[in-house]
Amino acid sequence: MVMRNRAGWLVWALPAIVLVAVFFVAPFLLNVRFAFSSWTSFRAEITWNGLENVRTLIDQDLLANAVTVTVTYAILCMAIQNTVSLSLALALQRTSRINTIFRSAFFLPTLISPLAAGYIWRGLLAPDGAVNSFLGLDWAWLGEPATALVVVAFIDAWKWSGLITLVYIAGLNSIPKSLLESATVDGAGPWTRFRRVVFPMLAPALTFNVAVTLVGALSAYDVIAATTGGGPGDHTRALNVVMRQQWGQGFFGSASALGFTVTLLVIVTAVPLVWWLRRREVAG
Amino acid sequence: MRTAVKYIALTLFAIPWVLVPVWLVVVNSFKPAGEAAELGLGLPRTWAIAENYGIVLDRGGYLVGLLNSLKVTVPIVLAVVLLGAAAAWAFGRSRSRWLQAAYFVMGLSILLPPSIIPTVYLLRALSLDGGSLGYVLTMTGCRLGVVIFLATGFVRAFPRDLEDAAAIDGASRAQIFVRVLLPLLRPVLFVGGVILIINVWNDFFFALFLLQGSANATLPLSLFQFASGTLQSLNWNLVFAHVLLTTLPLVAVYVVAQKRVLAGLTEGALKG
Repeated sequence: MVMRNRAGWLVWALPAIVLVAVFFVAPFLLNVRFAFSSWTSFRAEITWNGLENVRTLIDQDLLANAVTVTVTYAILCMAIQNTVSLSLALALQRTSRINTIFRSAFFLPTLISPLAAGYIWRGLLAPDGAVNSFLGLDWAWLGEPATALVVVAFIDAWKWSGLITLVYIAGLNSIPKSLLESATVDGAGPWTRFRRVVFPMLAPALTFNVAVTLVGALSAYDVIAATTGGGPGDHTRALNVVMRQQWGQGFFGSASALGFTVTLLVIVTAVPLVWWLRRREVAG
Repeated sequence: MRTAVKYIALTLFAIPWVLVPVWLVVVNSFKPAGEAAELGLGLPRTWAIAENYGIVLDRGGYLVGLLNSLKVTVPIVLAVVLLGAAAAWAFGRSRSRWLQAAYFVMGLSILLPPSIIPTVYLLRALSLDGGSLGYVLTMTGCRLGVVIFLATGFVRAFPRDLEDAAAIDGASRAQIFVRVLLPLLRPVLFVGGVILIINVWNDFFFALFLLQGSANATLPLSLFQFASGTLQSLNWNLVFAHVLLTTLPLVAVYVVAQKRVLAGLTEGALKG
């Protein structure tokens, strides 16, 4: 068959392979070098300097805080987003006219840019804003250390919840009806059905959503830039926020080290998580 | 009775979740600065629609931003969808070990975050820094992985009989790609395309590092520059007018295509 020679197939994959190699893989490999190199706007020559960048960031009390903030942000974001989206998906699972209207409405925030979402909620949560006047408070949600990080994570979750809901609906609808019926015949109530049948069968959608939200949230930047800029103090200063600041001040090596830290965080958290969740899929 | 309770609960949830945020933006973009600073949800006492939107169009760089956003979004989406489909065909059908290794790297590129600072360095070395071309190439390289991953699963799930039959009838590979493969992959490419459009249109992080100067600024970048222009406190009326105009093109497309978007996303591209 003509279609089976090897060189023939390479041509079809080549443009994509070249683009990914040059604009994703090459920067990825360069980053491993830059993270451990001296490179600033004051001295353009890039030379190996071992752990100097990391040490400087630790001495300035920037690194540990940024890692803590980023991980907390990611966990909060993942928890809020998946709780809201799974609840909405369970409520809107059946395709009917009224459910389509609700799905459509809840999808709307997904169309808004994270930056714009930041401005919108900054307005809603301002000390004299709508949320406080409804609750009868004058709390500075984004200005107080106690709530700032939770609120920015919430805004990020709000923005993506519509899309995640649809992925859960797709997962729910792929569960065979017969399985649920036989569980009902066996006397399982709604809660047992959810715990024993629906939740395990939802594993692929869950894996996808948890991984996507976690990886996205570890790279958090936009919402923070539009709301707190990293404040109050350093309470929402995630890794990418510090990276942008270092970059702006001309410390390109340190900025690379911070970018590399995000990559490491993804490798040590998301990769094992995806592996574990996938194993659960197979076992379930 | 139980369904009634459910829909009442959903409505009560949708009010603060969707309705209030949208209303806040719309109504305050119609108010003069002083009134919008109160951030209330009431109707404007004085209307300032023409003034606000005039300023955003004039000083906010909106039209330039709109053109720039179109100029990068269209090529990125086309390149990712077409090159992704072609590569997925090869990855799905070839048994070459090299191609399977390349496919594994594509999978990694979905999970691992792109390295933005070396990208700036690389684009500078290629004399592509600051402009739209470097941005388009970078976004294409970083987004291809998802579409390839989804589409390859799809290709593998299909028997190759159709392609073989077309080959026996004398169709060239390019003809088979256009006539057999693209129609076959349409659902998954549609879903991938929708997510991609939302992503690229709203991208701020890459644009911030890769696009220099207001002549190249896309809409999110121009929104940020506009909002940061007034340092102490935001001019909420103008910021919200800009937010509304920035989001409007995407919402307009969504309103027209929403049935297919929702159906495409819920029927799932994940099955492949």
